[in-house]
Amino acid sequence: MSWTSKHFLGLSPLILPYLVLFCGGVFLTFCQSFGVLTPLPYGGGALDAYVKLMGDPSFFASFFFSLGVAAVSALFSVLAGTFLAYRVWQLPRQLATAALVYKIPLILPHISVAFVILVFWSPSGILASMAHSLGFIQTLQQFPNVLYSGWGIGMILAYTLKGIPFAMLLVMALLVRFDIRQVQTAAMLGASGLRIFFTIVLPRLAPAMHTGFIILFLYSFGAFDIPYILSESRPGMLSIHVYNLYFKHDLARRPEAMAILVIMFCFALVFIIAYSKIVNHLDNGVRKL
Amino acid sequence: MKHALTFLVLVLLFVLPVVVLVLVSLAPEWRFPDVWPENFSFRGLTYLARHKKQILTSLSSSLLFSLLTVLTTLVMCLFPASVFARNQFPGKALLEGLLLTPALVPPMTFAMGLHFLFIKFSLADTLVGVVLILAMFSYPYMFRSLVAGFQVMGEGYGICAKNLGASPLSVLLQVELPLLMPAVIAGGSVVFLVAFSEYFLVFLIGGGSVASFTGTLIPLLNSSNRSLAAILTLIFLFLPIVLFLIIDMALVRVYRKKGMVVS
Repeated sequence: MSWTSKHFLGLSPLILPYLVLFCGGVFLTFCQSFGVLTPLPYGGGALDAYVKLMGDPSFFASFFFSLGVAAVSALFSVLAGTFLAYRVWQLPRQLATAALVYKIPLILPHISVAFVILVFWSPSGILASMAHSLGFIQTLQQFPNVLYSGWGIGMILAYTLKGIPFAMLLVMALLVRFDIRQVQTAAMLGASGLRIFFTIVLPRLAPAMHTGFIILFLYSFGAFDIPYILSESRPGMLSIHVYNLYFKHDLARRPEAMAILVIMFCFALVFIIAYSKIVNHLDNGVRKL
Repeated sequence: MKHALTFLVLVLLFVLPVVVLVLVSLAPEWRFPDVWPENFSFRGLTYLARHKKQILTSLSSSLLFSLLTVLTTLVMCLFPASVFARNQFPGKALLEGLLLTPALVPPMTFAMGLHFLFIKFSLADTLVGVVLILAMFSYPYMFRSLVAGFQVMGEGYGICAKNLGASPLSVLLQVELPLLMPAVIAGGSVVFLVAFSEYFLVFLIGGGSVASFTGTLIPLLNSSNRSLAAILTLIFLFLPIVLFLIIDMALVRVYRKKGMVVS
């Protein structure tokens, strides 16, 4: 039960890169946010970048916008994914193989999923054409402006399409070990389909749902690829904000970009810890991650 | 009836996009308000043929760094996973949690700091740099898969080989690694997909010198050339599927040959 040199040696192929690349990378991000080790010598005070951000309403708008997009898409993904996984699990064997099509968006890159959303939802896209032929709209302008509404709906759709199969995958992994006789017994004793789902199945799937939510939420919160294709001008996602500061402005604004990254990093850590604590507290110590 | 509804939802969500992509790739002039394209043409494929060289270069570059990333994560995780699966030591749960964080926190947060270090050590704009950053972000999937694999395998085979006089290294490489292949492939597939489909990290660290398939696709997505974008997206879908099928069949064949049970 104690550390031996064998443990150290065996773990070193992972610990060393972890310390140098991951911890080192985060450390350098912190440093640069304080104006240390920046490509150009930075004249200002150590906390300048943070002071500037705290006084910048557009930063807060971006922050809460990212939070909203991430929370809504992760929630939809997990709920829809869990429900679909349960329905797929109930399929007879021969049909279950065909249901493997759910893995398609898992294979597609995020940028391709964003492209699919563009093709379907753009004002002259497939859905607009369908609405036209069904007589709901007469001209292009009547189709609701889904992608540029200012609410991030396009990004939410893309993240949800990518997230549903991911949640399904996690939930399926638990369902294969789930005894179908529990469901059958409940049905024989007269429980309704809804009752069975909510009181018997759902509590057992909760660990996978929590894991899925944490991963999907944090990914959508900080990722770049989908917003790069689907973002609206403002408020933008934080990652786009950072990208613009890093690449499109002069080097003097580098600490600001890094300060946003530091805030994102700390937020992610606090979120993981707080979420696991709360869930642990709710159902007595079942591990989530 | 109930099952039909499930299937309808699955088809609408996951199959319809692929069908539409196939149509878009074959009908460049498909416009509002046609629900079905008026005429089909092979213009998208002609574009593909014309830009063949650039597309093949970026595709092989993407394949190369993705496969190297899988290999790197395997090397990084093999020994540590065996230690984790078989030993108890103080702080194990905490260490495991810490080791999984790179897959959870936004990769930008450490990649942009590292960019500075990579420039200093001339790793920026190189294949090695790209593989390192992708491995750093994706190894947790390999790690978890290998830990589970070691736990399922148990210690019996290793102890047996050791009793017969095998060195620890040959136990791992000759006895345990072949038995771990299903776990390696499960973890490796995820790592491959993450690396193969990543745009931003490759763009940041590769800086244009390391070509990537995503980098080729990005400028096409918002252009008028939707056909080509759709074709490339379909390649993104089918190439990994073909790759996974080949690996799966090869594994089954090797296992049969050795008389092992395929699970």
